[in-house]
Amino acid sequence: MNYPNPSHRDPQPAWWLLAIIAGFECAVFALDLLTPAGAAAHILYFLPIVFAVRQSWPNAVLYIAALASVFAIFTHLNAPAGSSTFIAVFNRGIGIFTIWCVAFLVRQVIVTRNDIERQGWLRGTQTELGVAVRGELSVEEFAERALGFLAERLGAKVGALYVREDDGNRLVRAAGYAFDARQSAMPASYRFGEGLVGQVAIEGRPMQVDDVPAGYLSISSGLGAARPCCLLLAPLTAEGEIRGIVELGFLGAAPAVAGPLLLKVSEMLGMGIQTAQYQRRLAELLAESQQQAEELQAQQEELSALNEELEQQNRALKESQVRLENQQAELEQSNQRLEEQTRSLERQKRELLQAQHELQNKTGELERASRYKSEFLANMSHELRTPLNSALILSKLLAENRPGNLTEEQIKYAETIYTAGNDLLTLINDVLDLAKVEAGRLEVSPEPFALTQLLGALEQTFQPLARDKGLSFQVVVDADIPSEVTSDRKRLEQVLKNFLANAFKFTEKGHITLRAYRDGERLALSVEDTGIGIPDEQQEAVFEPFHQGDGSISRRFGGTGLGLSISRELAQLLGGEISVQSTPGEGSTFTLFLPLTPSERVPAPVRAEAELVDETAGADVAPTSTAAVSFSFEDDREQAGTPGRRILIVEDDEAFAKILLDLAREMGFQGLVAPTAEEAQALIVRHAPSAIVLDIRLPDHSGLALLEQLKSDPASRHIPVHVVSVEDFAATARRMGAVGYMLKPVKRDALVQAFEALQQRLEQTLKRVLVVEDDPAQRESIVSLIAGEDVQIESVASAEEALERLSSNVYDCMVMDLSLPAMSGYELLAELSKTDSPYSYPPVIVYTGRDLSREEEERLRRYSSSIIVKGARSPERLLSEVTLFLHRVETELPPERQKMLRELRSREEVLEGARLLLVDDDVRNLFALTSALEPHGAIIEIARNGREALLKLDTAPDIDLVLMDIMMPEMNGYEAMRAIRAQERFRKLPIIALTAKAMRDDQDSCLEAGASDYLAKPIELDRLLSLLRVWLSSRRSF
Amino acid sequence: MDAERIFEIELELLVEAIYQRYQYDFRQYSRHSLRRRLARAQEQFQCRSLSQLQERLLREPALFPRLLDYLTVPTTELFRDPAYFLALRRHVVPYLRTYPSVKIWVAGCSTGEEAYSLAIVLAEEGLLDKTVLYATDINPRSIETARQGIYRADAVREASGNYRAAGGRGSLADYYSAAYDSVRFDPALARNVVFADHSLATDAVFAEVHLVSCRNVLIYFDRSLQDRAFSLFHDALVRQGFLGLGAKETVLLSDHKDQFEVISQDARIFRKR
Ligand SMILES: C[S@@+](CC[C@H](N)C(=O)[O-])C[C@H]1O[C@@H](n2cnc3c(N)ncnc32)[C@H](O)[C@@H]1O
Repeated sequence: MNYPNPSHRDPQPAWWLLAIIAGFECAVFALDLLTPAGAAAHILYFLPIVFAVRQSWPNAVLYIAALASVFAIFTHLNAPAGSSTFIAVFNRGIGIFTIWCVAFLVRQVIVTRNDIERQGWLRGTQTELGVAVRGELSVEEFAERALGFLAERLGAKVGALYVREDDGNRLVRAAGYAFDARQSAMPASYRFGEGLVGQVAIEGRPMQVDDVPAGYLSISSGLGAARPCCLLLAPLTAEGEIRGIVELGFLGAAPAVAGPLLLKVSEMLGMGIQTAQYQRRLAELLAESQQQAEELQAQQEELSALNEELEQQNRALKESQVRLENQQAELEQSNQRLEEQTRSLERQKRELLQAQHELQNKTGELERASRYKSEFLANMSHELRTPLNSALILSKLLAENRPGNLTEEQIKYAETIYTAGNDLLTLINDVLDLAKVEAGRLEVSPEPFALTQLLGALEQTFQPLARDKGLSFQVVVDADIPSEVTSDRKRLEQVLKNFLANAFKFTEKGHITLRAYRDGERLALSVEDTGIGIPDEQQEAVFEPFHQGDGSISRRFGGTGLGLSISRELAQLLGGEISVQSTPGEGSTFTLFLPLTPSERVPAPVRAEAELVDETAGADVAPTSTAAVSFSFEDDREQAGTPGRRILIVEDDEAFAKILLDLAREMGFQGLVAPTAEEAQALIVRHAPSAIVLDIRLPDHSGLALLEQLKSDPASRHIPVHVVSVEDFAATARRMGAVGYMLKPVKRDALVQAFEALQQRLEQTLKRVLVVEDDPAQRESIVSLIAGEDVQIESVASAEEALERLSSNVYDCMVMDLSLPAMSGYELLAELSKTDSPYSYPPVIVYTGRDLSREEEERLRRYSSSIIVKGARSPERLLSEVTLFLHRVETELPPERQKMLRELRSREEVLEGARLLLVDDDVRNLFALTSALEPHGAIIEIARNGREALLKLDTAPDIDLVLMDIMMPEMNGYEAMRAIRAQERFRKLPIIALTAKAMRDDQDSCLEAGASDYLAKPIELDRLLSLLRVWLSSRRSF
Repeated sequence: MDAERIFEIELELLVEAIYQRYQYDFRQYSRHSLRRRLARAQEQFQCRSLSQLQERLLREPALFPRLLDYLTVPTTELFRDPAYFLALRRHVVPYLRTYPSVKIWVAGCSTGEEAYSLAIVLAEEGLLDKTVLYATDINPRSIETARQGIYRADAVREASGNYRAAGGRGSLADYYSAAYDSVRFDPALARNVVFADHSLATDAVFAEVHLVSCRNVLIYFDRSLQDRAFSLFHDALVRQGFLGLGAKETVLLSDHKDQFEVISQDARIFRKR
């Protein structure tokens, strides 16, 4: 719609029409001049006047009439004489008069018509304004629209609309037209009476200002700013009350219609503002009452919650009351019982006291008896031996029968008396010995002596007895027995004599052997017989005092039965022990073990015990003490480094650490010594050693843990580690990447060898790879795949050849096929991983052409962490695995192989062909994920809930990864993950849980349920892709 | 400074502390309600001040579940506001029937009564088998109760009037078995119900649903949190999906008023445009 310009509504002369009219008038004038007087040509002067009705300037008619009058009078005065002057004058007079009458009439017509037109425009404009501000508008929107409309219609260049706030007397600017920053700096509100705006509000009448004061509204455009010439302010009222003020600024004079228009729309806009304000208030009230309603509801709910709480408490109270009553009854009952018990207790107590008293008496008695016994024994030694001595001497004399006056019979009696007396003496000595040992009064005094001498003496002593009994008796001494031993000779002899005496006692036929041999670090002295033997269950009992294998035996063979008890006590005093091996009917072997170096005698049993404890606790348990260990000697950490010649020794035993350090120095290394894993780590970071000798048992960490850390950190992975320890974790350590393993105690030679191996390893800049593959073509292709300038590849066709190479060389990596002729790959690996295997054991990559069963795979995993099944993508994988083991920096690879590697790692590669199981019940998610992942080459399987997922995993077992929603019907994600993990074969299947929960705890529950990782909804595709990459790639390199 | 002002400061600090420590976000809950609940909790835990309560909360994780019971008002009952369920039967169920399978989200399910009521309605309308109900709440203890579906017998018996008023066709007793003074709802009702922990204040949409029933939860939220919840619902709902609110709640005074149309003003059922 095209709005007519408001200036048309003003009575402006239509100049062209006036010009025509003036021309016409001049024509009439000319005609009038030429026509003789009397001819009423001047009548024609009416015509222009009447014509002037066409235009809208009212006063123009009067000017035309005046001109016509002047013309008429002029022509009359200059008219040629004609008709009577009087009549002519009269005529002209009437004519002029009539002209004026008509003129006034015409003017009236124009004025009226103008008025009507203006009224019409005003009305139309008002209606249009009404339309423009129709609808549910906020106060601001209303003001904006109204002001915009008015400014546009009236041609104002700038404007503002102020709204009265809440019946107060503040007017707040609610809208601006062509407002710029400067004007926004003007007050946004006025009080009544303040400024022009406030003034108009008080007066309630429009106001026009033609001399706009400086600093007032100004018109600005891109070209500059100008002050408006004219300002028009008008009140907007509703029911006579001011509701707002509109203010317009014009560049020229304000159009005349502006005032009337503003007057006219004042009420309408005022009402409009009021309505909008009412509406706003209403909305506010609604919101308020809504809030109150909600608040009320909340309060109500809280109240009922409180109620519930109270009720519950009530119930609990009642329950506990019932319980209390029950308890009361029970209590009464048990009270009775208690009383009874108390009584019986008191009785028992009395009895106890009595018993105690008796015991005390007995103890006293016993002590006394023991004292008596000791005294008795001491006395007896003397009292018995003295008469016995004489009895022995005399009976001996008697038996010799020097005077020759005794019969055979009598001589025999005398001999019997002598033997019996001798036996009695032995018994007495034994009893005394045992008493001494038990009382701790027996002392040992070790000194060096020749063992062979002692053994020789024993042989001499017992040989005659052997001959007597018809037994063969032998003394055997091994060659590696030291010629001198340090021990208490007398006691040693006593023990051996006891062994021998027993042996002779219980052996009727066969042989008896006394043997001296070496048992590790111990000296073993054994007596072996072919006697009656001892049943298993009695083997311990024979060491008990006053005991012999069988009650009847002692009767048959005589003897005190104290010998072995004493021997055992003695053996302990000598720092050794006694063991017995026996088969009834076949014979017995009693062995005395003695330490070869007597200085170790005391700590030995203690240490043995400690080690036992640790071994049962397993490898990871390190001794609890983490007290700082520091050594008295200094290592080479302060010295200037020779790169490649630093060895880190991780060992907490000071003596051994020192030995290692000295050896390292001897071999031209610089040695650093760390007694703890922690310090070792610090040293590794600070000094970058080129090799490490590692003890497994450390005070803080297990050495295996340290090894694991070293091997998993790219910065330290390449450092060769040689493990030395008392524990047998060889296979584990080897698999974890140790280059060698030695068990303590270690011989010096072995240590030297280990250092040599490390040295070889360090000097070898060429990386060596051993390829074991029987198929020549395959072998060739593997070799050409991993070939490079710095790699030396040796290839063999059989396991045997491989072993041969491994016995003399150290390799960085071995690539092997499983199916080999003769010795299989498995056997090769088993051989390599033996504890004392003489072969070096490099990291192994199994590269096999056939599919592996689950068991096979499991078996293989023990030896190798990388198993590659040949296929389209296997060469890349092989290359990347080999690279990993050779610790080759990627940029050192030949370019085309670099490219191969990069492609291998290219992001989509991982998803290509990956089978993903998507478990989600939300179709929208399913669709979104499927369409996001399929373009990357992933193959998507779908399950709608946990149960379906389990089914899917059964029917499509080659799933690489599961994306698991948590909130699902039937079986939720947690349950599903647990069920999946419960199956052994899915232990390692990567599962990524998807959940809408934002809490950290939730992540934990997911992981707890078996998720490998976690992704929050809504799912960001990038994060999902990178997670998939991580988990898919890790799965493939397993 | 007067005690009340101090209490307010402590309250703000406490909810912040809870958020930082336990990631439960009460920062945008209605202050009036929080004030009352916390005052009660303070009293019950025998703390001198909220600050003391806060200290204990930070150090004793075992205390938090108990506080949660105060902060989340668990009031609910079977067939609460029966007119709502009646209106669901009349206005919503016919639409739900048109979907091959239906999903419903009961947000703020508390101890599960609302979910079981809905399940009963669906069962009677023959829709239960093809429907999955997600019943979510932030109080794990409430969810556990809901999962078990065991309620006090007297409370359930009281609900049979409401059940009939909600258009129930049989007897409420058909749906449970009673033992001692407890009843246990037929597990078949809950077979397709997923009870889960989900917070309208912090978590995201998890599924596309046809009906959201979130009643008497928003009354504990301030305006901006209400708006967050509404936008979650809007995102979760299919086009033309339904939103059911509590008797005193409305979407019409929120920023989302233009995204929903009124289906039943009295029963507070709205529909996504
Ligand atoms: C008064 S109950 C309403 C129970 C049920 N909808 C009814 O109307 O009968 C309010 C529930 O909203 C839960 N709630 C509070 N804040 C929540 C949040 N941010 N997200 C989800 N649920 C919440 C509370 O745990 C409580 O169980």
